[in-house]
Amino acid sequence: MARCLFILIIILLLFTLHVSSEEEFTEELLFRPLPDRKVLSHFHFESKVPPTTVYGHHHRLFPKAIYQLVHKYRIKEMELSFTQGRWNYDSWGGFDPISSSNAKPPGVELWAVFDVPPDQVDTSWKNLTHTLSGLFCASINFLESSTTYSAPDWSFRSLSGNLRYGSLPREAVCTENLTPWLKLLPCRDKSGLSSLMNRPSIYSGFYHSQRLHLTSDEFDPVALHGIVLEQTLTIVIQPDALETHAAFSSSRKLQPSWSMSSLFGKTVDGKCALAKSSNVYVQLEGGLVYNMKDTWNNIEGNDGEIVQEVPYEVSPDRMMKEINSFHKDGYSILYGFSINNYHSSKPFDLGFWWKLPVTWSCVKAPLRVSRFLMGSGNEKGAIALSLQSTEWSQSLLKADNNIEKCNLRMYVDGISQSLGDIIEKMSVSPSEDKVSPGVMEMVLRLPCDMKSASLTLEFDKGFLHIDEYPPDANQGFDIPSAIISYPDFQTRLQYKLDNASIKSPMVSKMQERRTILSYTEVLLVPLTTPDFSMPYNVITITCTVFALYFGSLLNALRRRVGEEERLLKSKDKSTGKLQLLLSKMFAKLRGKPWEPPSTPPPPSSSSKFISSKVILKIILIAAIAFGWQYYDG
Amino acid sequence: MAEISETMETEPSPPEQTANQHSPSTTFDDKIMRKTKPGLKRLTLTLTVFFSFLLGLPFLLKSIEIYRSPLPFRDIDLLSHTIDSNPFVFPCKFHVVFVNLENSDAIKPRVENLGFLITSYMSRFTHNNNIPYCGTCDGNYSVSVSVDTGDDLALRESGFDRMAENDEVFDEYLVTKVGRGWGYTVVVVNKGEGEGLRAVVGKYRHGWVVGRVGEMNVVAERVAEMFVKVFVSGGKEEGSGEGEFMPVGADGKIVVSFSLLNADPRDWVYDWDFKEVDEKLLAPTLEALAPIANISVESQVLYHTPKSSYSYWDDEQESHIFSTKDLPFFVNSNEWHLDTSIAAGGRSKILQFVTWGGVVVFNPPNCLENANSMKPLRRKLSSQELNQIFEVFMGQLRQLFGLKSTGFYKGASGTFVLLSSERGFTEWELDALARQHACYNLQQCGTTLGSLSRLVQSLPRMIIKDEIGKQPFFLPLSLHVILAVVREMKRYKQESRKYVAWEAIRKQHSD
Repeated sequence: MARCLFILIIILLLFTLHVSSEEEFTEELLFRPLPDRKVLSHFHFESKVPPTTVYGHHHRLFPKAIYQLVHKYRIKEMELSFTQGRWNYDSWGGFDPISSSNAKPPGVELWAVFDVPPDQVDTSWKNLTHTLSGLFCASINFLESSTTYSAPDWSFRSLSGNLRYGSLPREAVCTENLTPWLKLLPCRDKSGLSSLMNRPSIYSGFYHSQRLHLTSDEFDPVALHGIVLEQTLTIVIQPDALETHAAFSSSRKLQPSWSMSSLFGKTVDGKCALAKSSNVYVQLEGGLVYNMKDTWNNIEGNDGEIVQEVPYEVSPDRMMKEINSFHKDGYSILYGFSINNYHSSKPFDLGFWWKLPVTWSCVKAPLRVSRFLMGSGNEKGAIALSLQSTEWSQSLLKADNNIEKCNLRMYVDGISQSLGDIIEKMSVSPSEDKVSPGVMEMVLRLPCDMKSASLTLEFDKGFLHIDEYPPDANQGFDIPSAIISYPDFQTRLQYKLDNASIKSPMVSKMQERRTILSYTEVLLVPLTTPDFSMPYNVITITCTVFALYFGSLLNALRRRVGEEERLLKSKDKSTGKLQLLLSKMFAKLRGKPWEPPSTPPPPSSSSKFISSKVILKIILIAAIAFGWQYYDG
Repeated sequence: MAEISETMETEPSPPEQTANQHSPSTTFDDKIMRKTKPGLKRLTLTLTVFFSFLLGLPFLLKSIEIYRSPLPFRDIDLLSHTIDSNPFVFPCKFHVVFVNLENSDAIKPRVENLGFLITSYMSRFTHNNNIPYCGTCDGNYSVSVSVDTGDDLALRESGFDRMAENDEVFDEYLVTKVGRGWGYTVVVVNKGEGEGLRAVVGKYRHGWVVGRVGEMNVVAERVAEMFVKVFVSGGKEEGSGEGEFMPVGADGKIVVSFSLLNADPRDWVYDWDFKEVDEKLLAPTLEALAPIANISVESQVLYHTPKSSYSYWDDEQESHIFSTKDLPFFVNSNEWHLDTSIAAGGRSKILQFVTWGGVVVFNPPNCLENANSMKPLRRKLSSQELNQIFEVFMGQLRQLFGLKSTGFYKGASGTFVLLSSERGFTEWELDALARQHACYNLQQCGTTLGSLSRLVQSLPRMIIKDEIGKQPFFLPLSLHVILAVVREMKRYKQESRKYVAWEAIRKQHSD
């Protein structure tokens, strides 16, 4: 018995040593046809480094920048996402692991958990934002201001205290953010699956989200895993329909067939030489599989024809079926293709051809949540959050057949309003001007038969100081997305692995139990904006009036009116030549014979004003003013 | 306004009219003369306004002035000027020991004067450069001379002459005898045979001159040059020390970043055991450099990073040559994270320098053989290859500090052999670096302070936009007032002249 135990311990030790002794990099790509004729492409790269205590701090695969980042700011966990477009929860799903973890709010979202004393968390966060800003060429440093980030207590993740969360909805995402992200991959986009990332096709898609998630246990007393860096890029693209079978080519119901080269304009010339494994997957959802069977009345294995484009017809290396599906009949299928044996003279190009029209729908999140603005005017407004139950929530509840789970429990992170007895827990930290944003967290327990619910929250619009308005203030202010999580619902896709030896980080991620998360829309609140030139105008006008008043007062005090009049009279006697000329001209223009001026022209102001002396004075003043401005300014 | 002008209309006329009525003299011309004294009312008024304006001017200027921190500007300027004009000079101690001098009786009586002789030679060497080097001991040194008669220092032991033939052995022997104190020692060994003198500088703070000691001046010059050029200046080239750049940041930190770049991992992947390199090759050097800088080492292995410049074959040197101009673009910066800003400073606002240490292009012969194979070749650089590479790196690191790695120094009085340390830097080199570093730090502090004070003083008056309004107010009004004063003064003078003229005429008439 004692020997047995001894052996066991040794095996265990060997096992742990084996797990944590090498750096690893894997690359994977998943395609999933979506019900609205689009295709989801999900790139998944994972880099692992064993703990520093075991492995040291010199690496050959893991990006140096990330390692230094983790150590400098003592990061336990961090996620940074750059997203453009909005995830369509209705048609692209909101329940499965991929949509739940990769559907992100537009712009930049960053959260991080630090392993530092609570009083240093804010400093670490601020430094982190600056570093990330430099690393990813984005204005993440705007998250430094205490009004832009918050510390959710219990709603966002169960981790609390050392977590900071911030998002920048207006951040535009483009290639300058992708390039540094790619630099973290050992092969960048030179070879392997990442070489598919053709910028025009990525950025012309309907949705793209580039995510970086890292977890580290470097600072734990017993570090087992080291740092794990997970980089994903999720793109939703509308494929240009490939030439399909003649019988249904005209049919509009037929989904567009696609291939890797039609989606990205590129093929894969082989795997990244440094990747431990390099796989491409095609995932067919349970609903699709069920409907296909139903439509075609077909036998298993023939559903979803996946063919390699000519001349290479390669069947998938493996096929995995979902077990414990919540669909009664349909189960999701995952086809795996290994690209280890492809190279530049034998590129890999996956094609997906539809033979018959089929319709299906994705598994949606338990609630359809949308947030919108109410009210008008510049003084008050309201934010409304509407919750509508989806058909899936009903079926789910029935399937579970559990009274406890009949109630929907939900965290609303953002802004909303109380709802009587369905609120289980609520914490509000009201916004403080120039110090902190307003955060409201609440747990709702909704009854099972609820069709829809709405929360409204009224708010007052404040006036900011003139310096606090951002450039282009008239556009309005963005309110970041609210986060909705369903702690009682956990999602996982369990696949029956046909070959246990294949370890895929992406598939194992799908198999993990995780809480469903979804985000609402970003709101744009118009605020009263002042006329920004007004203070200047007021100052200028006041000063001008004062100057005029003083000037004329002084003039009036020192003028000699009688003398001036006498001077005028004497001048009138000798009428200037210019005046004669002018009166002649006028006469000609009028077509009347010219008469010498018998009476002196009454005001004679015109000639006086244009006298050379006045012009000289004006020029002099202008010159002095110019000199003043030049030397003083 | 209208009322004022109406009331004023009649004001100036009565005196003139009355003057005309009173004396209808033919000599009176109202254009050039007047009969009454010109009034001072308007002049006083405008002058009052003008002076009150002048009085208010300081307040106005004060109100539009921006806040300037009350720095001791004059003291700062004085300090930076002093540091600039008088570089920091360190005190140095030199010691010369003569061994075997009893063989040459001609020199022995003059040994007492030798200290003075060496000092005069040393000052000649130092004054060759007009501006003293930063971090030298210009003039602030003491030279002492002693003769080893076999009793005091007891340098001569059995086999002394044999030891003097092997530099390394003799160096270690001298350490045990002379010690590793702060002074610099030169041992002059008279062999009484052979031609000329052989000067060697050891790894510690001593050197020795071996040979036939004949002319005292020759020995003194040799010793003096060893003190000034090698021990004090660190054996650097003439002129290279001026305004030299020490690659140490203001916070005393250096990050030495090593990158192994693989051109294309599809063909071959080279790897290194950097942990071993760090522990065996770099650690002694970094330990030696610890007094100068806090050095941390990082490394990375990168792939798909082909070099973007091409070498050419040089027949003379029998090697592939890259131009130094290629260095900044040696690898496309888009391909890798070159910056080590996170490790170096984080968010510090201290300026960081990125200096190129150097590049070693390693061209293993078995690369080509594998070019067309399917599986990439994976190889780890052997420790022998790593040693070769790091020898070059060490030379480049020394070059960064301005030190040569040739193993000799060619001076005016002859060539000095420099022994190289296993740690990369000898003790006297480190001394010179530390002195220089301290001096440059001080100089930089002075310049930074000076430019800061200049910057603060040169800040523009008006940068606050709310204050802009004062300009349109202030400018026309002040001009108006000034013009009014000038005009009134002119007018008053003119009128006074008229009156004086009239007075003169009246006097004439009355006479």
